[in-house]
Amino acid sequence: MIRPRLRLAHYLLPHLILVALAGSVRADEYSEVTQLSRDGKFVEALAKADVFLSSKPRDAQMRLLKGLVQRDAGKGAEAISTFSRMTEDFPELPEPFVNLGVIYADQNQLDKARNAFEMALRTNPSYSAAHENLADVYGRLSGAAYNKALQLDVSNLAVVPKLALVRQINTLNPTKLTPAQLASLAKATPAPVQIPPAAPSAAVVAQAKPVPISEPAARPGREAPAPAQTQGVDTASAREVEQSVQAWAAAWSAKDMRAYFAAYSRDFDPAGKHSRSEWEEERRSRIEGKASISVKLSEMQAHVRGNNAVARFRQDYRANGISISSRKTLELVRQGDNWKIVREAVGG
Amino acid sequence: MALLVALGPMDASRAAINSVNAATPGQSRTDGPSEQRLLEVFGLMARGQSREALEKAGKLVADRPNFQLAQLVYGDLLAARMRPLQSVGDMPADMARAGAAPLADLREEAHQRLANLKEKPPEGYVPSQFLKMAPQTRSAMAVDASRSRLYFFENTGSGMQLKADYYVSVGKAGTSKSQEGDQRTPLGVYFVSSHLDRKTLTDFYGIGALTLNYPNMLDVRRGKSGSGIWLHGTPSTQFSRAPRSTDGCLVLSNPDIRVLIDNISLRNTPIVVASQLVWKSPKQLEEPAAAFAESLESWRQAKVSGDLKKTLSYYTPDFSSYGKTLDQFKPLLKAEMKALKGRNLELKDLSYFQWSDTAETMVVSFGEVMAGKRTGIHKRQYWVRSSKEWKIFFEGVH
Repeated sequence: MIRPRLRLAHYLLPHLILVALAGSVRADEYSEVTQLSRDGKFVEALAKADVFLSSKPRDAQMRLLKGLVQRDAGKGAEAISTFSRMTEDFPELPEPFVNLGVIYADQNQLDKARNAFEMALRTNPSYSAAHENLADVYGRLSGAAYNKALQLDVSNLAVVPKLALVRQINTLNPTKLTPAQLASLAKATPAPVQIPPAAPSAAVVAQAKPVPISEPAARPGREAPAPAQTQGVDTASAREVEQSVQAWAAAWSAKDMRAYFAAYSRDFDPAGKHSRSEWEEERRSRIEGKASISVKLSEMQAHVRGNNAVARFRQDYRANGISISSRKTLELVRQGDNWKIVREAVGG
Repeated sequence: MALLVALGPMDASRAAINSVNAATPGQSRTDGPSEQRLLEVFGLMARGQSREALEKAGKLVADRPNFQLAQLVYGDLLAARMRPLQSVGDMPADMARAGAAPLADLREEAHQRLANLKEKPPEGYVPSQFLKMAPQTRSAMAVDASRSRLYFFENTGSGMQLKADYYVSVGKAGTSKSQEGDQRTPLGVYFVSSHLDRKTLTDFYGIGALTLNYPNMLDVRRGKSGSGIWLHGTPSTQFSRAPRSTDGCLVLSNPDIRVLIDNISLRNTPIVVASQLVWKSPKQLEEPAAAFAESLESWRQAKVSGDLKKTLSYYTPDFSSYGKTLDQFKPLLKAEMKALKGRNLELKDLSYFQWSDTAETMVVSFGEVMAGKRTGIHKRQYWVRSSKEWKIFFEGVH
């Protein structure tokens, strides 16, 4: 069951090295631009981004950052043009579409936002930021239509959820893989593979790793036979893992942020987000902004190897009248008596 | 919630859509286009084409933002991108609570509009009240309150033809109006008496109104009170109103009332308002029509014969004509018969409509023309059947 992710990790490795080598210089420039923007020095941040882009006009990450700086500087129209041009130059990337959608939503152009998120999903059907944003936009659009239908006061509208921007380009876009590539990968990957350390310690990898290892959407018929799972399965620990995952869902449902964050390891890698604190802030606004949340898990399968575990399940999420049913994969590590989440991915 | 069960998860509408498709293959519907567009959306939903449905619903609400039911369905279709729909108006609970009353109204409206798809009157059939229609009566209307539907007919060379049907709202308290302020819509045979232009009306009445002659002579005889029963449009904020939402008027959407205003003739177009219409083929109506024609003919012959006593036997003892008792009416009748001087009397442009509830009655209109004359007087009579005899309880010029 852990096979697909491993298969990707295998494929990803050369990429990671490339990004790590080539990216060590760029990473500094990215973080400088980000830091300037965070300090409110938008003019400087944009100047820096432009200098960088004058020599590397096709650098997607910097262009993404430039759009984000423009947005943070309150230049919505310019940010829209930056992201729009990105969608033309990199039509295979979901991130520019997502950010374009968020800015349209900022401007209450919900239909345009909807289109942008749908385009993001067209490039990557399992892209969770696009899914969640799209769900929020659909929720807002349907709420507005319901208000018009019932002629209710607009103030009755549910709290407007904050949409998530994407701050980093995912170097791995699963949909970029052709069926042939996927097939050769499946062949190349020996069935039982060692689980890689869930929390990579190498600084270079962490730096270069804006890489949420999201998996390709399930593709029936293309799956290689599942590797035998019986070997080394620890059923008692698997039950502990399941309980931890259920506790995580319960904390989420209860909007108990302390318990929710406690379910994550300090080494948790917020996929595609900038930092742990930004991730926490984003989760907090997303969760506390909802009137009520219900997260129900089913079809749970937990597999444990030593101190690492993978839990796969169906997650039925319902909040403010929106419900999303999706497959989810959590990777956990044992820390003392507890299992903590180190990675969270849609799909599986 | 019984309604919800009835309408249900989109299955009910699927049945409805399928039946209309089967019933009218390739036939263009003449209903208001907005309703047709909404029903198309329901049809797409029923066939699982929710993306196309969403697109069409989006266009409909863009064109008709005040069509609340369309907004509701649009909201559903947007929500359906993220979760399965359970019912029409499947909104978050807090919103459904806040708007419980309008939500129930909109679901009822959806139910009524969809139910109409399921059962169309059989081709060529007419309401059982339409016994005889003069060729000069170009149009007629009939309302089935149980279905929130108004049927519009044209009188063609080959009889009454159903041209269109429209969603219509009736009184908050339903039908069977009996007194002023009871918020009920009257039941009976009425005629359109006047057209009120929008310039003389507030926005509440929409683009215009047609007034009905409520209370009619049967209503008066029964001591019913109240007035100002109109067909009218909707305010600019509202495309259509809930099925039971008026103070007794019949309310249609503005495009629909426009068609009626443009196609009826004042004082001539009848409107039958029934709690539930019974549809008959023209052939089925031949016999009751002929039976009444016989009584009418006997009365005509008695009048032509000059036999006052015999003629008076066709009138009920409690006869009334605009306040005149039978005794007070007698001299008038006598004078009319005397003026005939043995000449024949023709009943031209004859129409009669049957109305049966606790009593069997007939509303009759004709031009009473003496032989050799070109013109006569337009008369209206109300007849009632006691045991086997039809008798006149009202007669007057109209």
